[in-house]
Amino acid sequence: MAEKANEAAGGVESRWYRTLGSRIWYFLNSLKLTLFILIGLAVTSIFGTVVEQNQSIEKYIEAYGEQWTSFIYYARLQDMYHAWWFLALLAMLAVNIVVCTFERFPPKWKSLLNHRNDKFDPRLIDKFSHHETVRLNESADTVRAKLEGVLKKRRYGVDSSGSGKEFHLYAWKGRIGRLGSDFTHISLLVILMGAIIGSYYGYKDFTGIIEGKSITVPQADFKLRLDKFWIEYYDTGQVKQYNSVLTVVEDGKDVFQKQIWVNEPLYYKGIRFYQSSYGQAWNKVEEAEIALKLKAKDSLEESFRVKWDSVEKVPGSKYSVKLVGFTGDFAYDEATNTVFSKSPEPNNPAINIEIYDGDKLVSTPWLFMKYPGIFPAIPDSDVDMVYIGHKGLWYSGISINKDPGTNVVWVGTSIMGFGFILAFFVYHRRIWVYIKEEGGSTEVKIGGTINKNQLVFERDIKELTDSITSDSASRGR
Amino acid sequence: MILSLVFFTFSFIFYILTTAAYAGYWAFKKKWLGQTATAMAFVALGSTTMILISRAGESGHAPFSNLWESMVLFIWATNAGYLLMEYRHKFKAIGTVVMAIETLSMLSASLLPYRFKSVEPLNPALQNKWKWMMDILSTWGLEKYAIGWLDFHVFTTFIGYAGFAIAFGLSLLFLWKFRAETRNVTNRFVEAFPDSKVLDEMSYRAIAWGFPFLAVGIVSGAVWANYAWGQYWAWDPKETWSLITWFIYAAYLHARVTRGWRGKRAAYLSIIGFAAVIFLYWGVSFILPGLHAYA
Repeated sequence: MAEKANEAAGGVESRWYRTLGSRIWYFLNSLKLTLFILIGLAVTSIFGTVVEQNQSIEKYIEAYGEQWTSFIYYARLQDMYHAWWFLALLAMLAVNIVVCTFERFPPKWKSLLNHRNDKFDPRLIDKFSHHETVRLNESADTVRAKLEGVLKKRRYGVDSSGSGKEFHLYAWKGRIGRLGSDFTHISLLVILMGAIIGSYYGYKDFTGIIEGKSITVPQADFKLRLDKFWIEYYDTGQVKQYNSVLTVVEDGKDVFQKQIWVNEPLYYKGIRFYQSSYGQAWNKVEEAEIALKLKAKDSLEESFRVKWDSVEKVPGSKYSVKLVGFTGDFAYDEATNTVFSKSPEPNNPAINIEIYDGDKLVSTPWLFMKYPGIFPAIPDSDVDMVYIGHKGLWYSGISINKDPGTNVVWVGTSIMGFGFILAFFVYHRRIWVYIKEEGGSTEVKIGGTINKNQLVFERDIKELTDSITSDSASRGR
Repeated sequence: MILSLVFFTFSFIFYILTTAAYAGYWAFKKKWLGQTATAMAFVALGSTTMILISRAGESGHAPFSNLWESMVLFIWATNAGYLLMEYRHKFKAIGTVVMAIETLSMLSASLLPYRFKSVEPLNPALQNKWKWMMDILSTWGLEKYAIGWLDFHVFTTFIGYAGFAIAFGLSLLFLWKFRAETRNVTNRFVEAFPDSKVLDEMSYRAIAWGFPFLAVGIVSGAVWANYAWGQYWAWDPKETWSLITWFIYAAYLHARVTRGWRGKRAAYLSIIGFAAVIFLYWGVSFILPGLHAYA
């Protein structure tokens, strides 16, 4: 397409379809497009911080009303950073970067390589925005040697030409700084690539594990077991840290154990496991507290505790009780005839027990903490069981994350750091000097350019001039 | 009595006096006023340093963990950055604007409710120290002085903010001076400042510091988030706003080399950019919910 651009510029008959390619190229190559995309990304990103992302539709309706909610879904503001139009803006940025690099890098590279061949014209020195002219009572060659020494000491590369009473000097420094912007631009492409790799080949998951239990890790051939979970507190009662001891189980064998906490994940076979939260388990308790109720007296006997999955004799009666089930927020699915927890919160705790008369199973009732006596524990009996409380079990909340793009992103950010150092702190300086001895005195013209930081360069030129004039007896300007 | 709050009160007074001295220099052009102003700025810097040191002693960790502490860091970095700039470019009148920003920052920090100022232990997510550094320091039993991603992330980010604050002041001055130049207004208040071209260049230099440091702040935050939260980027409001700010300054850098955008429009972008910094810093913490709720 670059050829087309040249064609169009060369005055070939310009029909719209002939110039279309070059027009598109010109459009994609323009800095105004860059500005448009950058400002566009900045402005649109604001929406996603105002509208909370990835909430349930009910929440949006509650917050914004139905009409606005339908607009939010129409414009995909509920998951804005993955909306097609936002991704399109990012893609535009990538295309803009690629086109600009193609267009600008080769000529820049060539001129940086061939910079010493640039034609030298002493009259141009006065046209630079930074230039000085001094007259010295020294021979041209002395001045040349002195200047060359000073420039080399300042780590300039120096070319000198001429002889006798007329010399040209060309000095340069920091050429590589010109490449800073290219490194930075390419680093953005690498970072975007890492993000794309991550979103295609990675996944995120969350699981709560209870001590002693194992989970199957998605897309992996190993399991993960929680051996221990505990919370540390400050003296003030604030949570200091929470910790899990995790074991990787492969083919039924323990292969790796590590204690993790917030800021210290476990890494195994490309998957990271993070300590991200904790809470009360909703499907298991450590023990429950139950009391016997004599229907005739309508009062509770002394309560007793029963551990999970174990049998306890009920004091003052012929029964014994086994604790077999718990649910934090009791719900019953009539279709499948199963009990489940509506939420992980203990909104409506219920326990499931088995009641034995000797060896004989009498009944397996659910007891509700908030609704004692709603269903009789033992049908047609003069006693009832009341669920008073329980000692909960903590689960450890583990985030699971596989993101093979992460390292690509880090490579990108390293390139960016390198690019920034070059772009912002290495300046490409070029200095031309014309020395001419005439009638016993020598005229020296010094001028140059810098690609950035004009203020520093002004001083550079001045210091350079001072270095040759300071020890010279007579100086005039 | 909390020593850091005592130093804060002293620093507040110092910043007011420093601003007054710079303003006096700007108005009357007396050399001794200029020297006093610079000396006062150094005193204020020393006093701000003492706030940070005493707070570190009180809390037992680097003083970067709540809004008040980070404000002090911001004020410290802006002052240090300004003094460096004054040393290199010798334009003292600019100090009036920068020190006025400092005084306003002191004022807003002092108005924070006490819960944003108090000494707090670090919550689990903030406890991050570099293991390699702890290993090295443990040779001398000094491992509790090791720093980590928290310190690095906050420090680099705030150097970025400081650069943007200075650039903001310079951009305001640029617009004012530029207007005076185009209208041929000359009086000693305008004359006290360098040419608009120089102001533009200095503003660019401040952003040339702020921009890469903000980038390092964002990236170190991402590295740390990848470690603590399980992903390097989650479009959390703080993250997103830091990116918004970064985009605006990226636009500024490109505007400076685009015909029709250099000068005035670039200066406006720098001002908008600093407004975004303020929102990123204060607005997000107070208005938008997210993981990054400390400061």
